[in-house]
Amino acid sequence: MNPNQLTIDKVQEILLAEKYVCDRALATVVYLSLIMGKPLLLEGEAGVGKTEIAKVLAKVLGAKLIRLQCYEGLDANTALYEWNYPKQMLRIKLEEVEHGDKEKVETEIFTEDYLIKRPLLEAIQTDGANPPVLLIDEIDRADMEFEAFLLEVLSDFQITIPELGTITAKHRPYVFLTSNRTREIHDALKRRCLYHWIEYPTFEKEYEIITTKFPEVENKMAQQICAFMQKVREMNFYKRPGVAETLDWASALIALNRKNLDDKTVVETMGCVFKYREDLHHLREQIEGRQLNLDALLRASPELVS
Amino acid sequence: MEVTAEKVATAVSNVAAARGKGTLPNVMAFARALKELGVKVSLSQVLDASRSVELVDIAARADFRALLRANMISQKEDFPAFDMLFDCFWREQGYERVPMETMEIQGTPTDSHAQEGGDEEGGLEEAAAESVPKENVPLENLDEFSVPTYSPQELMNRKDFSEMSVEESRAIARAILLIATKIATQISRRKKIGRKGNVVDPRWTMRKSMKYGGEVIDLVHRKKRIKKTKVVLLCDVSGSMDCYSRFLIQFMYGLQNELWGVETFVFSTSLSRITHLIRTKDIVNALEKISGSILGWSGGTNIGRSLHTFNRDFAPSMATHRTVVVIISDGWDRGDVSLLEREMQDLKRRCKKIIWLNPLLASENYEPLCKGMQAALPYLDMFLSVHNVNSLVALGRTLQKMVA
Repeated sequence: MNPNQLTIDKVQEILLAEKYVCDRALATVVYLSLIMGKPLLLEGEAGVGKTEIAKVLAKVLGAKLIRLQCYEGLDANTALYEWNYPKQMLRIKLEEVEHGDKEKVETEIFTEDYLIKRPLLEAIQTDGANPPVLLIDEIDRADMEFEAFLLEVLSDFQITIPELGTITAKHRPYVFLTSNRTREIHDALKRRCLYHWIEYPTFEKEYEIITTKFPEVENKMAQQICAFMQKVREMNFYKRPGVAETLDWASALIALNRKNLDDKTVVETMGCVFKYREDLHHLREQIEGRQLNLDALLRASPELVS
Repeated sequence: MEVTAEKVATAVSNVAAARGKGTLPNVMAFARALKELGVKVSLSQVLDASRSVELVDIAARADFRALLRANMISQKEDFPAFDMLFDCFWREQGYERVPMETMEIQGTPTDSHAQEGGDEEGGLEEAAAESVPKENVPLENLDEFSVPTYSPQELMNRKDFSEMSVEESRAIARAILLIATKIATQISRRKKIGRKGNVVDPRWTMRKSMKYGGEVIDLVHRKKRIKKTKVVLLCDVSGSMDCYSRFLIQFMYGLQNELWGVETFVFSTSLSRITHLIRTKDIVNALEKISGSILGWSGGTNIGRSLHTFNRDFAPSMATHRTVVVIISDGWDRGDVSLLEREMQDLKRRCKKIIWLNPLLASENYEPLCKGMQAALPYLDMFLSVHNVNSLVALGRTLQKMVA
């Protein structure tokens, strides 16, 4: 799909067709990012759908998704390119046996045939009608040094390989960066990007997400799940559950054929929502101590017109 | 900076003269008003914002808001300031009627801003703040990085935390963050040194062997990346220790980019993990909130029991041979001293280093006489003071050596 035909409404629509529910503000930002060719930095708590939106967009745009998962110690070699050393070595040995031209070998082993492309180079070099979607995931996990390097790539969309020369992007890739905010991203990088903070969804939005993803779910249970999730996010847990957890939980409950939430069901299936021992412990205490009263919670949840 | 309706109105009237017909002047004026509220905006962001205005139907106010926000704001803490300013600035035709009493300031917005900062935030904040651009200086100057300076405030740096007034401590808190960030960048530079080590670098080995016809003669080594140290903070927040702990937490927060992670706990009679509660830029306010909600904050102390909780519940996953445990406490323990000793022994076995910070160490004739402190002493790798800014800097350097 050609991004120039898009509008904000259209973005919302095509994302929804792929079962990604997004609010107007997010759609606006995504739209701008596509049209302006500016990277989009998405921040938010874990599991609110930061990574998902890039994946879904790649799908609806018919673009190739290139993902660079950041981690501590990620360096330019792993992100950009690497020479294929074993292959180079073999070639040299071969020429040696056949008494080949030394000069020729030297130039030939530094051609594209001997290059291993890593995500960033791949994103810049991609052929085809559509520019690719480049997802730089969890940038906060990489080092500051890598951030500086990324800054260089993202501002010019070109990469210099000393042996080959400068490679400039044929199409500017659509770039999405995500961060869980375990540390602050440098201002300079932030300034190159559009910025959006994805909040936890509201009750209504979360309900829409569940029913979109799982049309078979009972209306009542979907509401119960949402009410419960809204409540626990307000409470003092070490790791507050995101939408990803909601969906896991909903699919587990559906698989178990449950139509209704009660204390027992909640405690049994809590592993889908809380992944820390302290949190599970805390939840059990809250339920047993009636501080988290499921019945009251369900009664108080907003009525939705379905 | 706390953003109030008043400040927003002042900022809007200050930039009123810069507004004009068309998108660009207005967007630029808006950016300047944002800047007055303490939000950093660069020229490229402004230009992109005005470019994107053409792409969206700005009659839809919500879309226009989303557009400006995505372009100009890069951290969610600035959202409230942005929203208030947006409502005030883009009032329909409302901006022509600038309130009369604010007209005077209009001529010299930069001066008034600087003075305001000085009065409200204290001298340090002003010294640390970046320079405010003059009227005819291009907006690009906003990009310049501010270097934290704290030397003119020598006196302040030597002043004991417990003797500071509320304003002073707020100013110091900001300065501490800046200093910590500065130390942190120095740490990262250190890691780049050295190309000798125990890992073969295939790239360079290959290049070097070219001259011998591909025969590998010299192996090029690369130093293994230094794994960053993890820090666990155990902060005594009982009565007298409260203020020292706060500053320490703020300081460590500033360092956390360069450490592998900082886990923060507070204890008095019991232990609470607060790491997840202070993952915000506005750490000063976050701490205020936490201190209100945690039971026993500013109460009595039971170090032994708190350490026991830590060793039982958290240490298995958090204290490894790469962890430096930093305990800040005056050692006045109302609990069982033998328990404290046992737990210190256990902790010592698990982690790399234990640093104990005691603000009382600063006074000349202090001797660690109280039983709690005496029990802990044999297990410590370092016993330091943390009573003022200078001692925090010394702590930063010590950690720096451990990391590198």
